[in-house]
Amino acid sequence: MDIEILGKYLFKAAFIRSFEQRLAQFSQKGLVPGLLHLCLGAEVFEVILCSKLDSSCDQVTGSHRSHGLALAMETDPVSVAAEILGLEAGLSAGIGGTQHLLAPESGFLSSNGIVGGQVPMAAGAALSAKVRGTGGIAVTVFGDGAFNQGAISETMNLAAVLSLPVLFIVENNGLGQSTAAGYATAGSVIQRVRSLGIAAERVDSNDIEAVDTVTDTMTAWVRNNGSPAVIEALVPRLGGHYHGENEAYLGDQKVPDPLHTLETKALNSGLAEDQIQDILSRARQDADSAVEQAAKLYPAGESLMAKWSAKLHWNSGVGLLQAGGTDT
Amino acid sequence: MTAISFGDALNRTLHDCMAADDSIIIAGEDIAGGAGIEDSDVELGGVFGVTRGLAARFGTGRVLDTPITESAFVGMGLGAAATGLRPVIEVMFCDFFGVCFDQLINQAAKMRFLSNDRIQLPLVIRTTMGAGDGSGAMHSQSLHALVASVPGLRVVCPATPADAAGLLKTSIASPDPVIFMEHKGLYGLTGPLREDEDGHIVPIPLGKGRYVRRGTDLTLVATGAMVQEAEKAADILAVRGMRCEIIDPRTISPLDMEILIESVAGTGRLLVVDEGAAFAGFADAVVSKISQKAFAFLKSAPVSLTPPHTPVPYGRALEAAYLPSHEKIVECALRHFSK
Ligand SMILES: Cc1ncc(C[n+]2csc(CCOP(=O)(O)OP(=O)(O)O)c2C)c(N)n1
Ligand SMILES: [Mg+2]
Repeated sequence: MDIEILGKYLFKAAFIRSFEQRLAQFSQKGLVPGLLHLCLGAEVFEVILCSKLDSSCDQVTGSHRSHGLALAMETDPVSVAAEILGLEAGLSAGIGGTQHLLAPESGFLSSNGIVGGQVPMAAGAALSAKVRGTGGIAVTVFGDGAFNQGAISETMNLAAVLSLPVLFIVENNGLGQSTAAGYATAGSVIQRVRSLGIAAERVDSNDIEAVDTVTDTMTAWVRNNGSPAVIEALVPRLGGHYHGENEAYLGDQKVPDPLHTLETKALNSGLAEDQIQDILSRARQDADSAVEQAAKLYPAGESLMAKWSAKLHWNSGVGLLQAGGTDT
Repeated sequence: MTAISFGDALNRTLHDCMAADDSIIIAGEDIAGGAGIEDSDVELGGVFGVTRGLAARFGTGRVLDTPITESAFVGMGLGAAATGLRPVIEVMFCDFFGVCFDQLINQAAKMRFLSNDRIQLPLVIRTTMGAGDGSGAMHSQSLHALVASVPGLRVVCPATPADAAGLLKTSIASPDPVIFMEHKGLYGLTGPLREDEDGHIVPIPLGKGRYVRRGTDLTLVATGAMVQEAEKAADILAVRGMRCEIIDPRTISPLDMEILIESVAGTGRLLVVDEGAAFAGFADAVVSKISQKAFAFLKSAPVSLTPPHTPVPYGRALEAAYLPSHEKIVECALRHFSK
């Protein structure tokens, strides 16, 4: 593989890793409102996947574990960090938070708090691209646990029968919260989706070449054929379900870290050791400074809630209320 | 009387009920935890630990970890309830009702009625509710009134460990599907458990409210985590010369109208504080029913205090601005009811 490309992948994946680790430190200090579902282990796959997309016409939707995807789509990292910290400079002024990152302007339509909730809307983004003739595709990323939700089977079927350009990504990290994928899923992902007549490939995220090829082929296939496809990506979950979780149920498991695999791959492909170190340290510095910069900003408060309360108010006769009704 | 946490009170009740009745089964996500993981001998016991120790004691034949498929396992619960079991199904957060709404509002809610009572449906759906911990828009809602508006579903919102235990025991025995809503912010709250001489948890009937404190000037109605806020507010208001009576209805459906009317008859004033909807929520239901049934007792217009009509926000300051609090109750009570 081209070493320049490998270097880019490495920088971005390392950036996401450092970004999340820095946020995890903030979380430990009690500075993050919600629980952080880190994508530790999935960065390399997500970076390579998103490198095949065109943020001017494609849209990605993701799960609760989507910090990495938003960043891989080049969403401004300070805005992402500020959103996760619940601050006014965040993507949605801190309204959404860690599980609700919305950045359609950079091709990341939405992440989601509901397991599987992000999937049907991807069919809509694909329909939109198709009807409007943008040439875009939708990519929806969800876990092995989500794979069993009815909404996902329904959407796959819908996308197949309506010929919608959706790429479904099953990020199989072997676990849904504390439950093993092998326990929760009958049969196999690939068999199930192939039975719908949908093209499907399985790839191990530690096989960098294969990830590069499969994501390239499948995105192109969806784009050119205007019909759905599935990638089952084996990615490790290198931490707990969320940061700070009691992971005792995991027992001891040792899984290779794709970020290290990518580093070795870059080295073996001819990138010099000091170049690699330089990439990694630049990534760390950039990530740290984005998170630090975000953390210095301010939270939104009552006036933003007042604005939303007025916008969504159930009462169309607010004037009368002000004239002497008793609203609280 | 030993002090026990709200979460442990629920756990103890599940243990006791399952030991006493083999037809009780438990199902949901990560109920035992670690399913299918090799050398995982640590039981998670649900994400809030409420089902801890059940799988070890009663076996995975009666304590089932499910795939993340709320429609299927809630529907499974109702089917099992209709055919001889007493399932207690856990839906991790009530926000996830969105996924299994058909099974709840069409299937479970209507089966007893459609069978003209030939089918009993002893089904309990345990779930969590409530904001305040930065969980964001889809893990923080208070949907008690939404489900209570569907005939055929019973809805319980306990506020203390004793009520949690006593009401869960009754819910499990109930022939109607019961939505049992546990406020996340209450799991750590400790208090006494009510037991009889034999050490059995004393069941609390559905539809029976509780006087949290007696007073003469204002009736404060609150459920779940709002009860504590009401209590704190009442302390402050007492100093300002306003003696509040606090009522915790404990069950949303059936609702104890008697205790509400009795209280309003004494105070003539009503303030309902609720974490649910600002429009067509529990607060509106109480205000409406009291206005209709106890109008003659009211000395001034009843008032409700709820979050604004918006989804639950994430950031800490936003969430604080969203949630009713004891400060807001005090402010609201003084504004509307001080002469
Ligand atoms: C409908 C719904 N059910 C349950 C949950 C709670 N929950 C959040 S993430 C998760 C596990 C998801 O597993 P998977 O899809 O494999 O994604 P992973 O966390 O492994 O990335 C669960 C059970 C939820 N958020 N939404
Ligand atoms: Mg998973």
